[in-house]
Amino acid sequence: MRSVKRTLAILLSSLGLLVIWQVGSTLIASQVLLPGLGPVLTTLVTIVGEGPFLGSVLATVARALQAFLIIVITASICGVLGGKYPLFSAIMSPFVTTLKAVPVMSIILLAFIWFTSGEVPLFSAFLMGFPVMYVQVESGWRTIDGSLIQMCDLYEIRGLDRLIHFTIPALVPSLVTGARVALSMVWKVIIAAEVLTVPRFGVGARMQLAQVQLQTDRVLSWTLVAIVLTAAGDLLFEACVALLALLKRTVDRRRTR
Amino acid sequence: MRFVEVSKAYGDHVVFDRFSLEVEVETILAVVGPSGQGKTTLLHLASGLIEADGGAVIKEEEEIGSVSYLFQEPRLIPTATVFRNVELSLRSSESCATVRSQIARYYLEVVGLSDYLSLYPAQLSGGMRQRVAIARSFAHPSRLMLLDEPFQSLDIKLRYSLMDAFLTLWNESPKTTIFVTHDPREAIALGNAVCCLGDPTGPLLYQRIDTPQRARGIDDERLLALEGRLVKALLGS
Repeated sequence: MRSVKRTLAILLSSLGLLVIWQVGSTLIASQVLLPGLGPVLTTLVTIVGEGPFLGSVLATVARALQAFLIIVITASICGVLGGKYPLFSAIMSPFVTTLKAVPVMSIILLAFIWFTSGEVPLFSAFLMGFPVMYVQVESGWRTIDGSLIQMCDLYEIRGLDRLIHFTIPALVPSLVTGARVALSMVWKVIIAAEVLTVPRFGVGARMQLAQVQLQTDRVLSWTLVAIVLTAAGDLLFEACVALLALLKRTVDRRRTR
Repeated sequence: MRFVEVSKAYGDHVVFDRFSLEVEVETILAVVGPSGQGKTTLLHLASGLIEADGGAVIKEEEEIGSVSYLFQEPRLIPTATVFRNVELSLRSSESCATVRSQIARYYLEVVGLSDYLSLYPAQLSGGMRQRVAIARSFAHPSRLMLLDEPFQSLDIKLRYSLMDAFLTLWNESPKTTIFVTHDPREAIALGNAVCCLGDPTGPLLYQRIDTPQRARGIDDERLLALEGRLVKALLGS
């Protein structure tokens, strides 16, 4: 019942946004400033049918996925090292603080000087997403229950056994939270970097080309594509987390039979 | 096991000052005492978690090796099932998974948890969690057993039921045990000997109890008198 209410609230809220959009468009009465729902949806159908659509979407997804995986792997390893060794944490501290404070646009612009347009989104997304996940994993390591570590020492639960059955599960909440935040950040930074650097393929590049030609309906259509990609990415991530939890429970049940 | 002229201080707070105490091999020494008088320190010294500032903790040959520690709280791995929590404590000593599984299942059966093997700690009551901890402490092939007020937070019925489960398992494989508690009655129910801490230089009271645990009645006059002496020693300290 609670989830039905929640779904209904989300649907109504989304509908409210669309109504505000349509009312705003009618009041402004300018297709350049704010096209209505109808023209934007028509344009969306048109661009989906066009040649560059699939290539652009796939390029953005590939960049986002690459950046996300690199962030998850490096931030997890560094976060664990930072949590375990105070010296490593001290060494990382200036990098992390600087990266958290630097505006995303500065990073993209600097990266554009150093790299080619295809690499800039990847590099920028990494620099923006890494500190978020690193901080989560590092603090997650520090909050591991010391009394359970003492128990593991006394009962001689060591090495791989400790890693698989205690350490990794204890870190899972921090890993999931860090990865979730990093993922939503990755989409935004990738698309923003594509807008600025205009690689041959990419959702952001298409947005930029449409904006230059004052095709606001196309800009909004590509924005809708970006929203759908982000939402689909989030859903896929949550599904993977739920699937892994289910898999663990199933394996645990089987092993106790 | 012998604590020979052991000294231990935390800053200015002297817990033990040339303190000596003996625990006979394969017996239970119940230790009572007010808070901050060294009960947990005694267990930590026995387990090797901390080192004495002076003196020595001497173990007999049959006490050297692994330690089973039953804490105040169950300290179970929350993401591991009941079965896995016990089975993991066997991994360092037993390489065969089938044997480990048999041992874990056996101890969980003795504490009455055969039907709950696939549950996680959060799905159990407090008493059931402590039963898992008891099963784990016996499944772990240890030479020395240390109990730090493991029945403290439980209601009286559950407390006696768990003490009974503990005694059943302990009688099957007796090992040198130090049982720390706040409750003189609990100490008398389980200990082959009881001692009262409160003086850094030595126990305020030490008394062997010859009556087997199972034969001890709550109206036994000698035991009631001992309980009275323990309470007096506690109040005096």
